[in-house]
Amino acid sequence: MKRIIVAGIILLWVSAESAWAGGDAKRGEYLAVAANCVSCHTAEPGGAVPYAGGRSLKTPFGTFYGPNITRHDKQGIGRWSESGFFQAMRFGTRPDGDPYFPAFPYLSYTMVTDSDLTDLWAYLRTIPLDNTPSRKHDLGVLFDWRLPLKPWKWLFFTPGAFVADLKQTQQINRGAYLVRALGHCSECHTPRNLLGAPKQSRYMAGGKGPDGKKVPNLTPARLKKWSDKDLKEFMVTGLFPDGDVVGETMGIVIRNSTGKLLSIDLDAMIAYLRSLPRIENQ
Amino acid sequence: MKKRLFTSVLSLVLCIGVVLSAVAQVKPDVLVKQRQAAMTLIGKYFGPLGAMAQDKAPFNGEMVNRNALFLEVLAKMPWDGFQDVTANEKSGALPTVFKDPARFKKASEDMQAAVANLVVVSKTGDIPALKVAIGGIGKTCGGCHDNFREKK
Repeated sequence: MKRIIVAGIILLWVSAESAWAGGDAKRGEYLAVAANCVSCHTAEPGGAVPYAGGRSLKTPFGTFYGPNITRHDKQGIGRWSESGFFQAMRFGTRPDGDPYFPAFPYLSYTMVTDSDLTDLWAYLRTIPLDNTPSRKHDLGVLFDWRLPLKPWKWLFFTPGAFVADLKQTQQINRGAYLVRALGHCSECHTPRNLLGAPKQSRYMAGGKGPDGKKVPNLTPARLKKWSDKDLKEFMVTGLFPDGDVVGETMGIVIRNSTGKLLSIDLDAMIAYLRSLPRIENQ
Repeated sequence: MKKRLFTSVLSLVLCIGVVLSAVAQVKPDVLVKQRQAAMTLIGKYFGPLGAMAQDKAPFNGEMVNRNALFLEVLAKMPWDGFQDVTANEKSGALPTVFKDPARFKKASEDMQAAVANLVVVSKTGDIPALKVAIGGIGKTCGGCHDNFREKK
């Protein structure tokens, strides 16, 4: 009897941590590309260790630095469990219970489905560990206080996985998932209010990005000027039809994320963007 | 003898004066159009290279060599169009061009260096190295555009 209990406990413990009870790391690798984790969690200069943290995000509240999310026990997320990862992505909450700053785009990542989160977690577990300490955020006075984020989340954040809109085609739903949940495009392409929350009435209408630079309008008001072919070409190469090159802030998204997506996924994202309500520039 | 010397010096000074004033009187909107023209041609000759570097177009070594030489000269051209008199003209140039001239100058030098590098690499015919060199130019374009331009 005792042996059965011990065996049962060992089985439960092993299955909680091992891959054969968990997700598909290969699928997770593609999801990480679509979610573009590497761009924020890797330092800016070329040759930096992937996922070892460091990239800066300048906002009106100060500068955030993407942390180390390698498997390192102390400097990375080596001690995390899958449920901790779910809690971070779905609910925007740290393992210690404190809220995350929304510079970590959980307003979008909350929509990632359970099975995709499982696969992403499986992939994250395969990332080689690195002991670079995460850089502390450089925020204005009061803005580094996490307590106000609790009412902020109550006001502006609704956790929950993506739910397909049955009135739309499968392609548009796939595109919506890629743009809204994984791609988190609206984090830059939707303007924000004074409290740093996205203005849903101007969803994807562009304006001022987080670092103050202008971000394009991706609704049909502006996108109608682009053909599907040119738009897809742009999302893969970062080149405009006249040979012009996109700015680096989007350039890194194209190099690390959209430029590596499947052709049908890009088609789906374009179809979804074209289905958005038209919002003119102000 | 002295009279002759005097007349020639006077004419020379007047000529120089006319030429200088002609240059100084290039209107700011013309300067803007000229630098935009240089940028347009840079786009024209970089575009096909960018596509080749990303395997979106078949690799054409001859075109790479030719365009690299065009770009080397073109890359030097836009900068004298960014004079302070153009600061109030309508264009894609952001105020940071004039507020942070040192950084703008560095960005322009980075681009010229990347193009010069392509010319050197194009002589080796090493295709993977060429793709890397072309990508390097793209990054300098993107870096400058991000900080100093608002695409209209």
